[in-house]
Amino acid sequence: MKAVTGTSTTQKQGFFQQFKKQLSFQMFVWLGLFFLLLFHYLPMFGIIIAFKDYRISTGIQGIFSSPWAGWKHFEAFFNDYNFNNLVRNTLALSFLKVIFSYPIPILLAILLNEVRNAFFKRFVQTVSYLPHFISWVVVSGIAYTFFSADYGIVNDLLLSTGIINQPLDVLTNPDSFWGFAVSSAIWKEAGWWTIIFLAAITGIDPALHEAAEIDGASRIKRIWYITLPGLKGASIVVLILTIGSILGGGLVGSNFEQAMLFGNPLNSDTSQIIQTYAFNVGLAEGRFSFATAIDLMQSVISVILIFSSNYIAKRVSGSSLF
Amino acid sequence: MRRGRKRTTEDWILDSGITTLLIIISFVTLYPFYYILIMTFNAGTDTSFGGVYLWPRSFSLDNYIYFFDDARWMNAFGVTVLRTLIGTALGVGFTSMVAYGLAKKDLLLRNAYFIFVIIAMNFSGGLIAFYVVLRSLGLINSFGVYVIPSMLNIFFLLIAISFFREIPEEMAESARIDGASELRIFARIMVPVSLPLMATMSLFLGAGQWNSWLDSAYFVQSEELRTLTYRMMQVINQSMMPTGSADATASMARLSVTPLSLQATAMVVSIVPILCVYPFLQRYFVSGMMIGSVKG
Repeated sequence: MKAVTGTSTTQKQGFFQQFKKQLSFQMFVWLGLFFLLLFHYLPMFGIIIAFKDYRISTGIQGIFSSPWAGWKHFEAFFNDYNFNNLVRNTLALSFLKVIFSYPIPILLAILLNEVRNAFFKRFVQTVSYLPHFISWVVVSGIAYTFFSADYGIVNDLLLSTGIINQPLDVLTNPDSFWGFAVSSAIWKEAGWWTIIFLAAITGIDPALHEAAEIDGASRIKRIWYITLPGLKGASIVVLILTIGSILGGGLVGSNFEQAMLFGNPLNSDTSQIIQTYAFNVGLAEGRFSFATAIDLMQSVISVILIFSSNYIAKRVSGSSLF
Repeated sequence: MRRGRKRTTEDWILDSGITTLLIIISFVTLYPFYYILIMTFNAGTDTSFGGVYLWPRSFSLDNYIYFFDDARWMNAFGVTVLRTLIGTALGVGFTSMVAYGLAKKDLLLRNAYFIFVIIAMNFSGGLIAFYVVLRSLGLINSFGVYVIPSMLNIFFLLIAISFFREIPEEMAESARIDGASELRIFARIMVPVSLPLMATMSLFLGAGQWNSWLDSAYFVQSEELRTLTYRMMQVINQSMMPTGSADATASMARLSVTPLSLQATAMVVSIVPILCVYPFLQRYFVSGMMIGSVKG
């Protein structure tokens, strides 16, 4: 963010005169700041209830007036019988998503770039962006329609053709949750992220391709030696973004949505993550202080991940977000 | 550029391989939507026998008749439309108004304001603390919870600021000399000349409103305030639970509607509006996405 401080000409007038002159602008800004104070800063101060014994009936004042509890809620979380499972699930889901979803938009962009028929290219692009605009609720409905053991069209088809004898229990089997979450996230978001890589490909100097072609380089070779290196900058930026939001699911996001919508009592062994657990104990059981402590732990881990990924990116490639 | 070159065997293999792969990808993306669509035009009781893949087998409009006759679904539909319209209008209007203020050259205390905004963007109190605040403000279980907390989108605020800075000062200056208030200049001059920005913002905020489900599921309890996404979620959860299957009512049976076919109908009703605006707004995707990824 470029910052421009008050210039010397304006400093000759008094601050208040100057302020009065731009009062309407200041009013607009102050309305915005007031909003941020309410919906962003107040919740941030609200974090201190993680160190208190807060009761929801005491409202906002209770945030400040409730008695201190020290590290009690954090200890309770460490000793929670769910703790290991939750941390394992959160990390597994996050890292699996990054590993498997990160390369897909790059590959898809390269494939699309090789298509010569403009209409077909446009068609595939239009289709692949579409799921991005569909709610996760609808996606989970589609998933149910396709993979349910009782009604799912996939089981229906596989059973009737005799490929399987037992219906697949993709939606309820704890062993299939991670795979299912990762692939459905890719299905929904991979097409959307090709936009940025396609734009980066457009930025590659066509003269490079022409020169290589004259030198007799095959198309595969040109993809490997020209297109792919041309995507380096965009890839690094996207990787930093991905790792920065890794606990939310990275590029394709949606850890929380999926754990909420695809999670059920049968697969909760692998589908329950820190965020959904905090949400459930907080809102369903009313243990607000405990839930906030869990939330805070997750934020601390993700801030550490953001700063370290940014540091690594700066050292390795010289580019970083901040 | 490559038109003049002869196609080699390598070209042929590569092209057909890529084309096949992309056709498969398109099919895997599109078919689920298509299947949901034909399901809604097939009698629900017939669908449950299986075997309907490409075309409605037992054509019926019962699902839609039931859906648009059911007061709860219609109410949910109405709430969703309303929150999308109001939420988008408030979000776009308020965000760009604040941006217009912050975009002012020589704005006093500018740096302090920006620090305030950037901190709010990068740190959050988490969902639980957010809930506590919403509750204390009396927003829980009110329509306001859908449209008020999302009024200021920080990400679009930053985009709008840089957009307004590009607009030549003279445009506002002449109106200012004529004695127009800043609010009027903003509404009558700034908004019209920033149509691409307004369209991009409306698209993303509107889609967010339309698809939002968490607030309807956890921040309201009153049945009249539930949205379409919440009702769909409810049906899915009921049918996913191994013990209690979704309750099929008497009128459902009369109309050959099943919970599953009704859910599909709700999904189609929820997707169609997105499909309708999709072609018009598609040209703004790229700009929206590019700004988004650069600014993070």
